[in-house]
Amino acid sequence: MDFAWSDQQRELLDAVGRFASQQLNYDVIENDREGVFNHEAWKKCGDFGIQGLLVPTEYGGLGQDPLTTVAALERLGYACKDNGLLFSINAHMWTAIIPLVYNGSEAQKKKYLPGLSNGTLIGGNAMSEPNSGSDAFSLATTAVKKDSTYVLNGSKVFVTNGPVADLLVVFATVDKTRGPDGISAFLVEKDSPGMNVARKLEKMGVRTSPMAEVFFENCEVPEENLLGKEGGGAFLFTRSMTWERGCILASAVGSMQRLLETCIRYANERKQGGQSIGKFQLVASKIVDMKLRVESCRNMLYHYAWLSAHRKSVYLEAAMTKLHISDCWVKCCEDAIQIHGGYGYMTEYEVERELRDAIGSKLYSGTSEIQRNIIASMLGL
Amino acid sequence: MAESLVLIEHDRQQVKRPSLHAITLARKLGGEYALLVLGHRLDGIAASLVSYGACAVVVADDPALAKPLADRYATVIAEAARKRGAKTILGTSSTFSKDLLPRAAALLDAPMVTDVVAIEEMDGSISYRRPVNAGSMFAIVKVEGDRRVLTVRGTAFEAPAADAAPCPIKRFDFDAASLPNGIQFISREERKSDRPDLTEARVVVSGGRPLKDKETFERLVGGLADALGGAIGATRAAVDAGMAPNDYQIGQTGKVVAPELYIALGISGAIQHLAGIKDSRIIVAINKDPDAPIFQMATYGLVGDLHRIVPQLIESIRRA
Amino acid sequence: MKILVPFKSVPDPNDATVVGAAASTPKSVINPFDEIAIEEALRIRERGEAAEIVGITIGAPTVDEQIRAALAMGVDRAIRIDDSRALDPYAVARILRVLIEKEAPHVVIMGKQAVDDDSNQVGQMLAGLLRWPQATFVSKIEFLSNKTRARCTRETDAGLEVIEIKLPAIITTDLRLNEPRYVSLPGLMKARRKSIEVLTCDQLGVTVRPLTTVLSTARPPKRAAGTRVESVEELVTKLRQEAKVL
Repeated sequence: MDFAWSDQQRELLDAVGRFASQQLNYDVIENDREGVFNHEAWKKCGDFGIQGLLVPTEYGGLGQDPLTTVAALERLGYACKDNGLLFSINAHMWTAIIPLVYNGSEAQKKKYLPGLSNGTLIGGNAMSEPNSGSDAFSLATTAVKKDSTYVLNGSKVFVTNGPVADLLVVFATVDKTRGPDGISAFLVEKDSPGMNVARKLEKMGVRTSPMAEVFFENCEVPEENLLGKEGGGAFLFTRSMTWERGCILASAVGSMQRLLETCIRYANERKQGGQSIGKFQLVASKIVDMKLRVESCRNMLYHYAWLSAHRKSVYLEAAMTKLHISDCWVKCCEDAIQIHGGYGYMTEYEVERELRDAIGSKLYSGTSEIQRNIIASMLGL
Repeated sequence: MAESLVLIEHDRQQVKRPSLHAITLARKLGGEYALLVLGHRLDGIAASLVSYGACAVVVADDPALAKPLADRYATVIAEAARKRGAKTILGTSSTFSKDLLPRAAALLDAPMVTDVVAIEEMDGSISYRRPVNAGSMFAIVKVEGDRRVLTVRGTAFEAPAADAAPCPIKRFDFDAASLPNGIQFISREERKSDRPDLTEARVVVSGGRPLKDKETFERLVGGLADALGGAIGATRAAVDAGMAPNDYQIGQTGKVVAPELYIALGISGAIQHLAGIKDSRIIVAINKDPDAPIFQMATYGLVGDLHRIVPQLIESIRRA
Repeated sequence: MKILVPFKSVPDPNDATVVGAAASTPKSVINPFDEIAIEEALRIRERGEAAEIVGITIGAPTVDEQIRAALAMGVDRAIRIDDSRALDPYAVARILRVLIEKEAPHVVIMGKQAVDDDSNQVGQMLAGLLRWPQATFVSKIEFLSNKTRARCTRETDAGLEVIEIKLPAIITTDLRLNEPRYVSLPGLMKARRKSIEVLTCDQLGVTVRPLTTVLSTARPPKRAAGTRVESVEELVTKLRQEAKVL
């Protein structure tokens, strides 16, 4: 088992680290306070090549394998403190790009993937509704075929990137009686008549990632914008959700590493009672736990990515990775605040923001409870 | 008898005094040294140099040298060094000497040592101490060969006394017509200032980016400098932001100063800036950020908003 | 027009603050002033005034990482002169001179100094050896007269100076010439297909020996820690009475 990166991978990861630390850490405290999406940073990421990491080169991407991709995202999380920006990038990659790569027609791929790859187009998806979150497939948004269009009616909630998206993958049912087999996915461009991106939603964390409710009122979508086949939406969603579960917290592993290093530095520098607080076992013990979490998360992440790269089934591993990293991330953030004492509570020190950002990870891409259900059923229980 | 040749800089009106500091090193090296000036209509300047204990003031005076064009000046310097048998050619570090002397060194097939701050003699050979890595380290080097070129850091050597008996002024003849023609002078900013020269001032007041804009920079940094009769300096960030012209920049790639009193306003203390101020006798830092690195180097540190503090400081100094 | 950009691999001057670099070993980067030179060459090409940009460096195979970074920025091809000795500026100039004569560029653009050595000599020495015009500490470059001349603004102790030089010439860059682009991943991918030619001094036909030897290096003595004052009054009093500088 070779745990080493190749020279080319190392070169790529170092370039990501340099780029992110020099270009993506401006105004994070202010933007988080105001809930502002950093368009400039997004664009720089697009020019740099982040969004298109996984997209095949013939559609404008870099054609990288899953392992290199998650390692790059991990490095991004280490070097970039704006977790909201990364959350938006992840939503864009897993909910818009992946469905297009796997289920898009040639025409759809050619039309959207180049722009999604270089960041000139921002993507996202609209799945959750006021009455269907964990129970995603009980959605109520309808799509009725009329001549050469589908007419969408319904309301979507928690649409990440909603306020800024050029393209949303919208899930609606063409036949409620068929249950999940009626669900279909549609590519809906912004400003489509009948599409209303409503108020921006304020969140506890990842506040620099914009989120909105989106309403569809007789919104007409051309039939060539059906993504995949009618009734294929649930399968498409599950596949992209599996990618999302495995990959969305890769950057969190990087964030945890950064927090770990911050805590070690602080514990060595901060002196109380005549010695560094790192010498107190209760403080040191927390840092040790952080280290163990980082290592176990990293290993799970890479294992998942390796399996994915080798085209093995990863449904179980994706759920375990997501569950474990989210749990660890929140605990690391709590420990980091505790280690910093009063300063950990202060906005200026940027430690409290990490916890606010991390809490969401136990909710999105399937709550921790859902992940446990998945793992239990995969264990044959 | 190995002779040294010291390149002296002037601004057509008078000698630039920091360039005289290289004479102090020439004296330390021992043996005779001659002073060299290039330009046009140099009688007054040449006359002002006769009491520095040189064996001669060598003057290359010709309309072709009216502007300090590197290819012409380096050619003449190399020729003068050769004709006089000079083995060590020195100058004080400045953009003038740095432009010319390396080229002259190549023409003389000689190695060069930049920014010498001290020398040591051991077993008959000389080693030179110079700053490297933005002044965070020193290197002790020796050079081989028949000739060598040196620039000295002006702040590391005292100004030489001008109390020697007058020496002869010798005109250096060269063929002006055969000088290179590849560089043409177009224009130069000429900014007159009543303030002392940055590299010579006893007091320097310097500002960083928190000074916001040109007007505020002039009001606060300039105001404090004037209250103290000092010169103005700036960090790279301030110059990049357009608050101050490039010749105010202090640091690794700007000017190096060592005044009696250096006051740093809104300067965090990047290594590249500190490289330019380390040898100041007293450093005062005023900054909003208590963790700014400059406080580790400052003799006196005051944490606070410079926009509030500096006017009070100016007032307090004027009152006394 | 062919532009030649000599560059040096140096220890990262921002090492303490670079995030994302993995453990320990001191990172090397392209000398920041040379990076500015590369960027300027790229912009000149983007303006349509140059057709080829060649990067050259002297060093052991470990500097290939910096060469690839230069190629990733957009340099077309690169030459490494395989020599891992500690060279002084004059030795560097003598080696580069031979390669420059071989490549015959229209202009050589390079950093004014390397941030590890701070000598600020190589460009000027090259110009002397080649008997070419030089423009040092340049903050603006414009090509004139069908690219037979360059108008350069120089940053000098007295302020900005403008000169014109005939080409071919040596130009050394100062900080404010431009802000270099970061290496992008697409650039990195493209760079993998570009060529790095490796030559030895023997193959070039040049034998040089550095004339400068570094005997030792040392840290300068630290300034004694100072004190904090709490008010303007206290500061003025201390400057007057303690430091006796007012």
